[in-house]
Amino acid sequence: MSLQQLDSTRFEEIIYDNCEPCLVIFSKKECHVCKEVVPMLEGMKPQYEGKFGFYYVDVEEDKNLFQRFSLKGVPQILFFNEGEYHGKLAGKVEEEAVEEKIEEIIG
Amino acid sequence: MEAVANSYDLIIIGGGPAGLSAAIYGGRAKLKTLVINKGTIGGLADTTREIVNYPGYMQISGPDLMKDFQKHAQSFNVEFLKEEVIDVDFSQENKLVKTKKGKEFYAKAVILACGSQPRILNIPGEKTLRGSGVAYCATCDAEFFEGEDVVVIGSGDQAIEEGMYITKFARKVTVIVLHDEGILDCNKVSAERAFNNEKMEFIWNSTIEEVLGEGNVEGVKIKNLKTGSSSELTCQGVFFFVGMVPSTKFLNNSGLRMEKSGYIPTNERMETNLEGIYAVGDNRVKYLRQVVSAAGDGATAAVAAERYIEELNDFNANILQTDKKTLLLFFNALVNESLEFNTLLEGVLNDTAENYKLFKVDTATKKTLAEKYKIDKVPAVVVLDRGEEIKRLDCSMDLEKLKSQLF
Ligand SMILES: Cc1cc2nc3c(=O)[nH]c(=O)nc-3n(C[C@H](O)[C@H](O)[C@H](O)COP(=O)(O)OP(=O)(O)OC[C@H]3O[C@@H](n4cnc5c(N)ncnc54)[C@H](O)[C@@H]3O)c2cc1C
Repeated sequence: MSLQQLDSTRFEEIIYDNCEPCLVIFSKKECHVCKEVVPMLEGMKPQYEGKFGFYYVDVEEDKNLFQRFSLKGVPQILFFNEGEYHGKLAGKVEEEAVEEKIEEIIG
Repeated sequence: MEAVANSYDLIIIGGGPAGLSAAIYGGRAKLKTLVINKGTIGGLADTTREIVNYPGYMQISGPDLMKDFQKHAQSFNVEFLKEEVIDVDFSQENKLVKTKKGKEFYAKAVILACGSQPRILNIPGEKTLRGSGVAYCATCDAEFFEGEDVVVIGSGDQAIEEGMYITKFARKVTVIVLHDEGILDCNKVSAERAFNNEKMEFIWNSTIEEVLGEGNVEGVKIKNLKTGSSSELTCQGVFFFVGMVPSTKFLNNSGLRMEKSGYIPTNERMETNLEGIYAVGDNRVKYLRQVVSAAGDGATAAVAAERYIEELNDFNANILQTDKKTLLLFFNALVNESLEFNTLLEGVLNDTAENYKLFKVDTATKKTLAEKYKIDKVPAVVVLDRGEEIKRLDCSMDLEKLKSQLF
Protein backbone atom coordinates (compact mmCIF):
# COMPACT_ATOMS: atom_id res chain seq x y z
CA MET A 1 0.00 0.00 0.00
CA SER A 2 1.58 3.29 -0.98
CA LEU A 3 2.48 5.86 1.63
CA GLN A 4 0.60 9.13 1.87
CA GLN A 5 2.83 12.04 0.88
CA LEU A 6 2.95 15.04 3.22
CA ASP A 7 3.67 18.66 2.42
CA SER A 8 4.49 21.13 5.22
CA THR A 9 0.83 21.86 5.98
CA ARG A 10 -0.23 18.24 6.22
CA PHE A 11 2.92 17.52 8.19
CA GLU A 12 1.91 20.11 10.84
CA GLU A 13 -1.60 18.73 11.05
CA ILE A 14 -0.68 15.10 11.40
CA ILE A 15 2.35 15.39 13.65
CA TYR A 16 1.50 18.38 15.84
CA ASP A 17 -2.28 18.83 15.70
CA ASN A 18 -3.46 15.24 15.59
CA CYS A 19 -0.45 14.10 17.61
CA GLU A 20 -0.63 10.80 15.76
CA PRO A 21 1.96 8.10 16.51
CA CYS A 22 3.65 7.70 13.17
CA LEU A 23 6.77 7.55 11.09
CA VAL A 24 7.74 9.79 8.19
CA ILE A 25 10.27 8.71 5.62
CA PHE A 26 12.26 11.54 4.06
CA SER A 27 13.13 10.38 0.60
CA LYS A 28 13.78 11.50 -2.96
CA LYS A 29 13.42 10.07 -6.42
CA GLU A 30 17.06 9.72 -7.42
CA CYS A 31 18.21 7.57 -4.51
CA HIS A 32 18.59 3.82 -4.85
CA VAL A 33 18.61 3.11 -1.13
CA CYS A 34 15.28 4.96 -0.80
CA LYS A 35 13.91 2.73 -3.52
CA GLU A 36 14.63 -0.24 -1.28
CA VAL A 37 13.41 1.22 1.98
CA VAL A 38 10.17 2.82 0.76
CA PRO A 39 8.67 -0.45 -0.60
CA MET A 40 9.61 -2.17 2.64
CA LEU A 41 7.58 0.42 4.58
CA GLU A 42 4.72 0.05 2.10
CA GLY A 43 4.74 -3.64 2.86
CA MET A 44 4.66 -3.04 6.62
CA LYS A 45 1.95 -0.38 6.60
CA PRO A 46 -1.20 -2.61 6.45
CA GLN A 47 -0.36 -4.50 9.64
CA TYR A 48 -0.24 -1.23 11.58
CA GLU A 49 -3.43 0.23 10.09
CA GLY A 50 -5.24 2.35 12.66
CA LYS A 51 -2.42 2.00 15.19
CA PHE A 52 0.58 3.69 13.63
CA GLY A 53 0.83 6.01 10.66
CA PHE A 54 3.24 5.70 7.72
CA TYR A 55 3.99 8.88 5.75
CA TYR A 56 6.31 10.12 3.04
CA VAL A 57 8.11 13.42 2.46
CA ASP A 58 9.90 14.20 -0.80
CA VAL A 59 12.85 16.37 0.25
CA GLU A 60 13.13 17.98 -3.17
CA GLU A 61 9.52 19.11 -3.09
CA ASP A 62 9.53 20.19 0.55
CA LYS A 63 12.99 21.49 1.28
CA ASN A 64 12.00 23.36 4.43
CA LEU A 65 10.96 20.13 6.14
CA PHE A 66 14.33 18.47 5.93
CA GLN A 67 16.09 21.70 6.80
CA ARG A 68 13.96 21.95 9.91
CA PHE A 69 15.21 18.59 11.14
CA SER A 70 18.70 19.38 9.85
CA LEU A 71 18.81 16.12 7.96
CA LYS A 72 21.95 15.23 6.05
CA GLY A 73 20.93 12.63 3.56
CA VAL A 74 18.18 10.29 2.54
CA PRO A 75 16.50 8.01 3.30
CA GLN A 76 15.76 8.79 6.90
CA ILE A 77 12.82 7.57 8.89
CA LEU A 78 11.70 9.94 11.63
CA PHE A 79 9.42 8.75 14.42
CA PHE A 80 6.81 10.88 16.20
CA ASN A 81 4.28 10.46 18.97
CA GLU A 82 2.06 13.03 20.70
CA GLY A 83 3.72 15.80 18.77
CA GLU A 84 7.18 14.83 19.92
CA TYR A 85 10.14 13.66 17.90
CA HIS A 86 11.24 10.13 18.90
CA GLY A 87 14.45 9.68 16.97
CA LYS A 88 15.31 8.44 13.50
CA LEU A 89 16.78 5.62 11.48
CA ALA A 90 19.08 6.46 8.58
CA GLY A 91 20.18 4.69 5.43
CA LYS A 92 19.42 1.10 4.52
CA VAL A 93 17.49 -0.13 7.54
CA GLU A 94 16.03 -3.56 8.14
CA GLU A 95 12.36 -4.22 8.77
CA GLU A 96 13.19 -5.51 12.27
CA ALA A 97 14.78 -2.20 13.27
CA VAL A 98 11.66 -0.30 12.19
CA GLU A 99 9.40 -2.77 14.02
CA GLU A 100 11.43 -2.39 17.19
CA LYS A 101 11.19 1.35 17.04
CA ILE A 102 7.43 1.23 16.49
CA GLU A 103 7.03 -1.18 19.42
CA GLU A 104 9.01 1.22 21.60
CA ILE A 105 6.49 3.92 20.82
CA ILE A 106 3.15 2.13 20.83
CA GLY A 107 4.25 -1.09 22.60
CA MET B 1 -0.30 -27.82 -8.23
CA GLU B 2 1.78 -25.39 -6.25
CA ALA B 3 4.99 -27.18 -7.02
CA VAL B 4 4.66 -26.20 -10.66
CA ALA B 5 3.73 -22.59 -10.03
CA ASN B 6 6.89 -21.93 -8.07
CA SER B 7 9.17 -24.09 -10.21
CA TYR B 8 11.39 -22.55 -12.84
CA ASP B 9 14.01 -23.69 -15.26
CA LEU B 10 16.22 -20.78 -14.33
CA ILE B 11 16.25 -18.43 -11.35
CA ILE B 12 18.50 -15.39 -11.48
CA ILE B 13 19.26 -13.76 -8.13
CA GLY B 14 20.02 -10.07 -8.72
CA GLY B 15 18.69 -7.73 -11.41
CA GLY B 16 21.72 -5.61 -12.28
CA PRO B 17 23.28 -5.65 -15.76
CA ALA B 18 24.66 -9.18 -15.27
CA GLY B 19 21.35 -10.64 -14.10
CA LEU B 20 19.33 -8.83 -16.78
CA SER B 21 21.63 -10.01 -19.57
CA ALA B 22 21.33 -13.57 -18.30
CA ALA B 23 17.55 -13.07 -18.27
CA ILE B 24 17.54 -11.94 -21.91
CA TYR B 25 19.44 -15.05 -22.99
CA GLY B 26 17.41 -17.34 -20.72
CA GLY B 27 14.11 -15.92 -21.92
CA ARG B 28 15.16 -16.10 -25.55
CA ALA B 29 16.10 -19.76 -25.10
CA LYS B 30 12.53 -20.30 -23.87
CA LEU B 31 13.62 -21.23 -20.40
CA LYS B 32 11.00 -20.45 -17.74
CA THR B 33 13.01 -17.69 -16.10
CA LEU B 34 12.53 -15.69 -12.88
CA VAL B 35 14.64 -12.73 -11.78
CA ILE B 36 14.52 -12.05 -8.03
CA ASN B 37 15.88 -8.61 -7.21
CA LYS B 38 15.61 -6.55 -4.08
CA GLY B 39 15.50 -2.81 -4.58
CA THR B 40 15.51 -1.20 -7.98
CA ILE B 41 16.17 -3.04 -11.18
CA GLY B 42 19.57 -2.18 -12.60
CA GLY B 43 21.64 -2.60 -9.45
CA LEU B 44 24.71 -0.42 -9.15
CA ALA B 45 24.39 0.67 -12.75
CA ASP B 46 21.05 2.21 -11.80
CA THR B 47 22.88 4.50 -9.37
CA THR B 48 25.31 5.71 -12.02
CA ARG B 49 24.47 9.14 -13.38
CA GLU B 50 26.33 8.74 -16.62
CA ILE B 51 27.73 5.79 -18.54
CA VAL B 52 30.01 6.59 -21.46
CA ASN B 53 31.66 3.23 -22.07
CA TYR B 54 28.83 0.85 -22.91
CA PRO B 55 29.13 -0.02 -26.60
CA GLY B 56 26.45 1.54 -28.78
CA TYR B 57 25.68 4.31 -26.33
CA MET B 58 27.97 7.34 -26.50
CA GLN B 59 26.41 8.63 -23.34
CA ILE B 60 23.43 7.42 -21.37
CA SER B 61 22.30 7.58 -17.77
CA GLY B 62 22.56 4.36 -15.77
CA PRO B 63 18.81 4.21 -15.03
CA ASP B 64 17.94 4.70 -18.74
CA LEU B 65 20.31 1.97 -19.86
CA MET B 66 18.98 -0.40 -17.22
CA LYS B 67 15.38 0.30 -18.24
CA ASP B 68 16.33 -0.80 -21.74
CA PHE B 69 17.91 -3.97 -20.36
CA GLN B 70 14.77 -4.75 -18.37
CA LYS B 71 12.40 -4.03 -21.25
CA HIS B 72 14.48 -6.31 -23.42
CA ALA B 73 14.24 -9.13 -20.85
CA GLN B 74 10.50 -8.60 -20.46
CA SER B 75 10.03 -8.91 -24.20
CA PHE B 76 11.19 -12.52 -23.82
CA ASN B 77 8.60 -13.21 -21.10
CA VAL B 78 10.98 -13.20 -18.17
CA GLU B 79 9.23 -12.87 -14.80
CA PHE B 80 10.38 -10.41 -12.15
CA LEU B 81 9.95 -10.51 -8.38
CA LYS B 82 10.97 -7.72 -6.04
CA GLU B 83 12.23 -9.53 -2.95
CA GLU B 84 15.40 -10.34 -1.11
CA VAL B 85 16.79 -13.85 -1.20
CA ILE B 86 18.02 -14.83 2.26
CA ASP B 87 18.68 -18.55 1.98
CA VAL B 88 19.29 -21.31 -0.54
CA ASP B 89 19.64 -25.08 -0.67
CA PHE B 90 21.80 -26.13 -3.59
CA SER B 91 22.40 -29.71 -2.41
CA GLN B 92 19.63 -31.30 -4.49
CA GLU B 93 19.11 -31.45 -8.24
CA ASN B 94 16.14 -29.13 -7.72
CA LYS B 95 17.63 -25.98 -6.26
CA LEU B 96 15.69 -24.20 -3.53
CA VAL B 97 15.66 -20.40 -3.15
CA LYS B 98 14.01 -18.72 -0.13
CA THR B 99 13.04 -15.08 0.19
CA LYS B 100 12.81 -12.85 3.22
CA LYS B 101 9.03 -12.88 3.06
CA GLY B 102 9.04 -16.67 3.32
CA LYS B 103 8.43 -17.54 -0.33
CA GLU B 104 10.12 -20.63 -1.75
CA PHE B 105 11.06 -21.29 -5.35
CA TYR B 106 12.67 -24.19 -7.14
CA ALA B 107 14.88 -24.13 -10.21
CA LYS B 108 16.97 -26.49 -12.25
CA ALA B 109 19.73 -23.89 -12.51
CA VAL B 110 20.52 -20.72 -10.56
CA ILE B 111 22.59 -17.73 -11.67
CA LEU B 112 24.06 -15.59 -8.88
CA ALA B 113 24.19 -11.92 -9.90
CA CYS B 114 24.00 -10.11 -6.58
CA GLY B 115 26.67 -7.50 -7.19
CA SER B 116 28.20 -5.67 -4.27
CA GLN B 117 27.65 -2.98 -1.69
CA PRO B 118 29.87 -0.25 -0.27
CA ARG B 119 32.45 -1.34 2.26
CA ILE B 120 31.90 -0.06 5.78
CA LEU B 121 35.16 0.94 7.51
CA ASN B 122 33.68 0.46 10.98
CA ILE B 123 35.50 3.36 12.54
CA PRO B 124 34.02 5.23 15.53
CA GLY B 125 31.27 7.62 14.48
CA GLU B 126 30.69 6.05 11.07
CA LYS B 127 27.57 4.15 12.07
CA THR B 128 26.14 6.55 14.64
CA LEU B 129 26.41 9.55 12.33
CA ARG B 130 25.07 7.83 9.23
CA GLY B 131 22.48 10.13 7.70
CA SER B 132 23.77 12.93 9.91
CA GLY B 133 26.74 13.72 7.71
CA VAL B 134 28.13 10.26 6.98
CA ALA B 135 27.15 9.20 3.47
CA TYR B 136 27.91 6.59 0.77
CA CYS B 137 26.05 7.91 -2.26
CA ALA B 138 26.71 11.27 -3.88
CA THR B 139 23.67 11.17 -6.16
CA CYS B 140 21.51 10.66 -3.09
CA ASP B 141 23.08 13.03 -0.61
CA ALA B 142 25.45 15.58 -2.17
CA GLU B 143 22.85 18.35 -2.27
CA PHE B 144 22.46 18.25 1.50
CA PHE B 145 25.93 19.78 1.75
CA GLU B 146 25.27 23.00 -0.15
CA GLY B 147 28.02 25.48 0.73
CA GLU B 148 29.60 23.17 3.29
CA ASP B 149 32.91 21.37 3.71
CA VAL B 150 32.99 17.71 2.77
CA VAL B 151 35.63 15.01 3.18
CA VAL B 152 35.88 12.10 0.73
CA ILE B 153 37.73 8.95 1.70
CA GLY B 154 39.26 6.89 -1.10
CA SER B 155 40.91 7.57 -4.45
CA GLY B 156 39.43 5.04 -6.85
CA ASP B 157 37.21 5.93 -9.84
CA GLN B 158 34.18 6.15 -7.64
CA ALA B 159 35.78 8.34 -4.96
CA ILE B 160 37.20 10.85 -7.42
CA GLU B 161 34.21 10.99 -9.78
CA GLU B 162 31.71 11.23 -6.94
CA GLY B 163 33.98 13.77 -5.20
CA MET B 164 33.86 16.00 -8.27
CA TYR B 165 30.09 15.69 -8.38
CA ILE B 166 29.91 16.82 -4.74
CA THR B 167 31.87 20.00 -5.61
CA LYS B 168 28.76 21.15 -7.48
CA PHE B 169 27.14 21.67 -4.10
CA ALA B 170 29.85 21.80 -1.45
CA ARG B 171 32.19 24.74 -0.77
CA LYS B 172 35.19 22.44 -0.65
CA VAL B 173 35.89 18.72 -1.02
CA THR B 174 38.94 17.28 0.71
CA VAL B 175 40.03 13.86 -0.51
CA ILE B 176 41.93 11.66 1.93
CA VAL B 177 44.36 9.47 -0.05
CA LEU B 178 46.42 6.53 1.22
CA HIS B 179 49.20 7.02 -1.32
CA ASP B 180 52.10 9.41 -1.86
CA GLU B 181 51.42 12.84 -3.29
CA GLY B 182 50.08 12.78 -6.84
CA ILE B 183 49.05 9.11 -6.85
CA LEU B 184 45.36 8.28 -7.19
CA ASP B 185 43.83 4.86 -7.87
CA CYS B 186 41.38 6.24 -10.42
CA ASN B 187 41.69 6.51 -14.21
CA LYS B 188 43.96 9.18 -15.68
CA VAL B 189 41.22 11.34 -17.19
CA SER B 190 39.42 11.65 -13.87
CA ALA B 191 42.67 12.28 -11.98
CA GLU B 192 43.57 15.15 -14.29
CA ARG B 193 40.12 16.68 -13.97
CA ALA B 194 40.26 16.38 -10.20
CA PHE B 195 43.66 18.07 -9.97
CA ASN B 196 42.31 20.95 -12.06
CA ASN B 197 39.16 21.32 -9.97
CA GLU B 198 39.56 24.36 -7.74
CA LYS B 199 37.24 22.99 -5.10
CA MET B 200 39.15 19.72 -4.68
CA GLU B 201 41.92 19.40 -2.14
CA PHE B 202 44.02 16.38 -1.27
CA ILE B 203 45.58 15.04 1.89
CA TRP B 204 48.18 12.40 1.03
CA ASN B 205 49.52 9.33 2.89
CA SER B 206 46.55 9.42 5.18
CA THR B 207 43.44 7.67 6.35
CA ILE B 208 40.72 8.58 8.80
CA GLU B 209 40.41 7.10 12.28
CA GLU B 210 37.21 8.60 13.56
CA VAL B 211 34.23 10.68 12.52
CA LEU B 212 33.72 13.42 15.09
CA GLY B 213 30.50 15.06 16.18
CA GLU B 214 27.51 14.83 18.46
CA GLY B 215 24.27 14.58 16.57
CA ASN B 216 25.85 15.81 13.34
CA VAL B 217 29.27 15.40 11.76
CA GLU B 218 31.61 18.16 12.94
CA GLY B 219 34.91 16.83 11.65
CA VAL B 220 37.21 13.88 11.09
CA LYS B 221 40.34 12.63 12.77
CA ILE B 222 43.02 12.07 10.16
CA LYS B 223 46.01 9.82 10.64
CA ASN B 224 49.16 10.36 8.62
CA LEU B 225 50.50 6.91 7.82
CA LYS B 226 54.06 8.15 7.22
CA THR B 227 54.53 10.12 10.40
CA GLY B 228 51.93 8.36 12.56
CA SER B 229 50.61 11.71 13.72
CA SER B 230 46.92 12.54 14.01
CA SER B 231 45.12 15.76 13.21
CA GLU B 232 41.56 16.99 13.07
CA LEU B 233 39.79 18.56 10.14
CA THR B 234 36.50 20.39 10.46
CA CYS B 235 33.77 19.33 8.01
CA GLN B 236 30.03 18.80 7.86
CA GLY B 237 30.02 15.74 5.65
CA VAL B 238 32.06 12.56 5.12
CA PHE B 239 31.58 10.36 2.06
CA PHE B 240 33.08 6.87 2.22
CA PHE B 241 34.22 5.33 -1.07
CA VAL B 242 36.55 2.64 0.18
CA GLY B 243 35.63 -0.16 -2.15
CA MET B 244 32.88 -2.69 -2.43
CA VAL B 245 32.03 -5.97 -0.74
CA PRO B 246 30.24 -8.69 -2.72
CA SER B 247 26.68 -9.34 -1.51
CA THR B 248 27.21 -13.06 -1.17
CA LYS B 249 26.94 -13.54 2.59
CA PHE B 250 23.61 -15.34 2.35
CA LEU B 251 25.44 -18.10 0.45
CA ASN B 252 27.89 -18.82 3.29
CA ASN B 253 26.38 -22.20 4.22
CA SER B 254 25.40 -23.30 0.73
CA GLY B 255 28.51 -25.32 -0.01
CA LEU B 256 29.47 -22.81 -2.68
CA ARG B 257 33.18 -22.14 -2.88
CA MET B 258 33.99 -18.49 -2.20
CA GLU B 259 37.12 -16.52 -1.50
CA LYS B 260 37.56 -15.03 1.96
CA SER B 261 36.58 -11.69 0.47
CA GLY B 262 33.22 -13.14 -0.65
CA TYR B 263 33.96 -13.27 -4.39
CA ILE B 264 33.00 -16.48 -6.18
CA PRO B 265 35.55 -18.21 -8.40
CA THR B 266 34.19 -19.55 -11.71
CA ASN B 267 35.54 -21.10 -14.87
CA GLU B 268 35.06 -19.49 -18.27
CA ARG B 269 31.55 -20.89 -18.49
CA MET B 270 30.69 -19.08 -15.24
CA GLU B 271 30.27 -22.44 -13.51
CA THR B 272 30.91 -22.54 -9.78
CA ASN B 273 31.99 -25.62 -7.85
CA LEU B 274 28.29 -26.62 -7.61
CA GLU B 275 26.50 -28.23 -10.54
CA GLY B 276 23.86 -25.98 -12.09
CA ILE B 277 24.98 -22.92 -10.10
CA TYR B 278 26.62 -20.02 -11.95
CA ALA B 279 28.10 -16.71 -10.79
CA VAL B 280 28.29 -13.56 -12.92
CA GLY B 281 29.15 -9.87 -12.88
CA ASP B 282 30.60 -8.18 -9.83
CA ASN B 283 29.97 -11.31 -7.75
CA ARG B 284 32.75 -13.31 -9.27
CA VAL B 285 36.51 -13.27 -9.22
CA LYS B 286 37.47 -11.30 -12.34
CA TYR B 287 39.67 -8.64 -13.85
CA LEU B 288 37.20 -5.95 -14.94
CA ARG B 289 34.02 -5.03 -13.06
CA GLN B 290 31.96 -2.97 -15.50
CA VAL B 291 28.53 -3.08 -17.14
CA VAL B 292 29.86 -4.46 -20.43
CA SER B 293 31.72 -7.34 -18.77
CA ALA B 294 28.77 -8.01 -16.44
CA ALA B 295 26.56 -8.33 -19.53
CA GLY B 296 29.02 -10.75 -21.16
CA ASP B 297 29.07 -12.92 -18.05
CA GLY B 298 25.30 -13.02 -17.94
CA ALA B 299 25.07 -14.22 -21.54
CA THR B 300 27.70 -16.91 -21.00
CA ALA B 301 26.09 -18.23 -17.83
CA ALA B 302 22.62 -18.38 -19.36
CA VAL B 303 23.88 -20.37 -22.33
CA ALA B 304 25.82 -22.72 -20.03
CA ALA B 305 22.71 -23.10 -17.87
CA GLU B 306 20.56 -23.78 -20.93
CA ARG B 307 22.84 -26.62 -22.03
CA TYR B 308 22.96 -28.03 -18.54
CA ILE B 309 19.17 -27.99 -18.25
CA GLU B 310 18.80 -29.62 -21.65
CA GLU B 311 21.12 -32.43 -20.60
CA LEU B 312 19.28 -32.82 -17.36
CA ASN B 313 15.84 -32.98 -19.03
CA ASP B 314 17.10 -35.33 -21.66
CA PHE B 315 18.60 -37.61 -19.10
CA ASN B 316 15.54 -37.59 -16.85
CA ALA B 317 13.17 -38.27 -19.72
CA ASN B 318 15.22 -40.99 -21.36
CA ILE B 319 16.92 -42.78 -18.54
CA LEU B 320 15.27 -42.31 -15.22
CA GLN B 321 11.72 -42.87 -16.48
CA THR B 322 12.27 -46.04 -18.44
CA ASP B 323 11.43 -49.60 -17.36
CA LYS B 324 14.33 -51.05 -19.28
CA LYS B 325 17.82 -51.36 -17.95
CA THR B 326 20.06 -48.68 -19.36
CA LEU B 327 23.66 -48.75 -20.40
CA LEU B 328 25.32 -45.37 -20.07
CA LEU B 329 28.21 -45.47 -22.47
CA PHE B 330 30.77 -42.72 -21.96
CA PHE B 331 32.90 -42.01 -25.00
CA ASN B 332 35.06 -39.32 -26.50
CA ALA B 333 35.53 -38.86 -30.23
CA LEU B 334 39.24 -38.26 -29.70
CA VAL B 335 39.75 -41.62 -28.00
CA ASN B 336 39.73 -44.24 -30.70
CA GLU B 337 39.39 -47.11 -28.28
CA SER B 338 36.12 -45.67 -27.01
CA LEU B 339 34.73 -45.51 -30.55
CA GLU B 340 35.71 -49.09 -31.26
CA PHE B 341 34.12 -50.24 -28.05
CA ASN B 342 30.97 -48.38 -29.04
CA THR B 343 30.74 -50.40 -32.26
CA LEU B 344 31.31 -53.64 -30.44
CA LEU B 345 28.68 -52.89 -27.80
CA GLU B 346 26.07 -51.85 -30.33
CA GLY B 347 26.71 -55.05 -32.24
CA VAL B 348 26.18 -57.16 -29.13
CA LEU B 349 22.97 -55.36 -28.26
CA ASN B 350 21.60 -55.70 -31.80
CA ASP B 351 22.15 -59.44 -31.76
CA THR B 352 20.11 -60.07 -28.67
CA ALA B 353 16.55 -59.62 -27.62
CA GLU B 354 17.59 -58.63 -24.11
CA ASN B 355 15.97 -55.39 -23.07
CA TYR B 356 18.76 -52.88 -22.77
CA LYS B 357 18.59 -49.27 -23.72
CA LEU B 358 21.82 -47.65 -24.82
CA PHE B 359 22.49 -43.99 -23.92
CA LYS B 360 25.66 -42.54 -25.32
CA VAL B 361 27.41 -39.76 -23.46
CA ASP B 362 30.08 -37.69 -25.16
CA THR B 363 32.33 -36.66 -22.27
CA ALA B 364 33.60 -33.70 -24.25
CA THR B 365 30.22 -31.97 -24.15
CA LYS B 366 28.25 -33.64 -21.36
CA LYS B 367 30.68 -32.86 -18.59
CA THR B 368 28.06 -32.80 -15.87
CA LEU B 369 27.03 -36.40 -16.48
CA ALA B 370 30.63 -37.52 -16.62
CA GLU B 371 31.20 -35.77 -13.32
CA LYS B 372 28.04 -37.17 -11.79
CA TYR B 373 29.25 -40.71 -12.41
CA LYS B 374 32.88 -39.81 -11.70
CA ILE B 375 34.11 -41.00 -15.09
CA ASP B 376 37.82 -40.30 -15.52
CA LYS B 377 38.56 -42.48 -18.52
CA VAL B 378 36.74 -43.68 -21.61
CA PRO B 379 35.27 -45.99 -22.63
CA ALA B 380 33.23 -46.59 -19.51
CA VAL B 381 29.80 -48.16 -19.06
CA VAL B 382 27.45 -47.68 -16.11
CA VAL B 383 24.46 -50.03 -15.91
CA LEU B 384 21.29 -48.45 -14.54
CA ASP B 385 18.03 -50.02 -13.47
CA ARG B 386 15.24 -47.46 -13.28
CA GLY B 387 17.87 -44.78 -12.86
CA GLU B 388 19.79 -46.56 -10.10
CA GLU B 389 23.34 -47.68 -10.78
CA ILE B 390 23.59 -51.45 -10.43
CA LYS B 391 27.06 -52.09 -11.82
CA ARG B 392 29.88 -50.95 -14.12
CA LEU B 393 31.24 -52.98 -16.99
CA ASP B 394 34.78 -53.98 -17.61
CA CYS B 395 35.09 -52.49 -21.10
CA SER B 396 36.98 -55.31 -22.62
CA MET B 397 37.22 -55.66 -26.41
CA ASP B 398 36.75 -59.37 -25.93
CA LEU B 399 33.28 -60.18 -27.26
CA GLU B 400 32.61 -63.15 -24.99
CA LYS B 401 33.79 -61.32 -21.91
CA LEU B 402 31.50 -58.44 -22.74
CA LYS B 403 28.52 -60.70 -23.35
CA SER B 404 29.07 -62.52 -20.10
CA GLN B 405 28.77 -59.30 -18.20
CA LEU B 406 25.51 -58.40 -19.87
CA PHE B 407 23.56 -61.65 -20.03
C1 LIG C 1 29.58 5.01 -8.77
C2 LIG C 1 29.80 3.93 -9.78
C3 LIG C 1 30.01 4.28 -11.10
C4 LIG C 1 30.16 3.30 -12.09
N1 LIG C 1 30.33 3.69 -13.37
C5 LIG C 1 30.41 2.75 -14.36
C6 LIG C 1 30.51 3.14 -15.74
O1 LIG C 1 30.53 4.32 -16.06
N2 LIG C 1 30.56 2.17 -16.69
C7 LIG C 1 30.53 0.83 -16.37
O2 LIG C 1 30.56 0.00 -17.26
N3 LIG C 1 30.45 0.43 -15.06
C8 LIG C 1 30.39 1.35 -14.05
N4 LIG C 1 30.31 0.95 -12.74
C9 LIG C 1 30.37 -0.50 -12.44
C10 LIG C 1 29.04 -1.20 -12.71
O3 LIG C 1 27.99 -0.46 -12.13
C11 LIG C 1 29.05 -2.61 -12.13
O4 LIG C 1 30.17 -3.31 -12.59
C12 LIG C 1 27.81 -3.39 -12.53
O5 LIG C 1 26.64 -2.72 -12.11
C13 LIG C 1 27.82 -4.80 -11.97
O6 LIG C 1 26.66 -5.45 -12.34
P1 LIG C 1 26.08 -6.69 -11.55
O7 LIG C 1 24.84 -7.06 -12.27
O8 LIG C 1 27.13 -7.71 -11.36
O9 LIG C 1 25.73 -6.17 -10.06
P2 LIG C 1 24.85 -4.96 -9.54
O10 LIG C 1 24.71 -3.92 -10.56
O11 LIG C 1 25.44 -4.58 -8.24
O12 LIG C 1 23.40 -5.60 -9.30
C14 LIG C 1 23.14 -6.54 -8.30
C15 LIG C 1 21.66 -6.55 -7.96
O13 LIG C 1 21.38 -7.67 -7.09
C16 LIG C 1 20.51 -7.27 -6.05
N5 LIG C 1 20.72 -8.17 -4.92
C17 LIG C 1 21.82 -8.30 -4.13
N6 LIG C 1 21.63 -9.24 -3.19
C18 LIG C 1 20.39 -9.73 -3.39
C19 LIG C 1 19.61 -10.73 -2.73
N7 LIG C 1 20.09 -11.41 -1.69
N8 LIG C 1 18.36 -10.98 -3.19
C20 LIG C 1 17.86 -10.30 -4.26
N9 LIG C 1 18.55 -9.35 -4.92
C21 LIG C 1 19.81 -9.06 -4.49
C22 LIG C 1 20.93 -5.85 -5.78
O14 LIG C 1 19.89 -5.15 -5.13
C23 LIG C 1 21.20 -5.33 -7.20
O15 LIG C 1 20.01 -4.84 -7.78
C24 LIG C 1 30.16 1.92 -11.73
C25 LIG C 1 29.96 1.57 -10.39
C26 LIG C 1 29.79 2.55 -9.42
C27 LIG C 1 29.58 2.14 -7.99
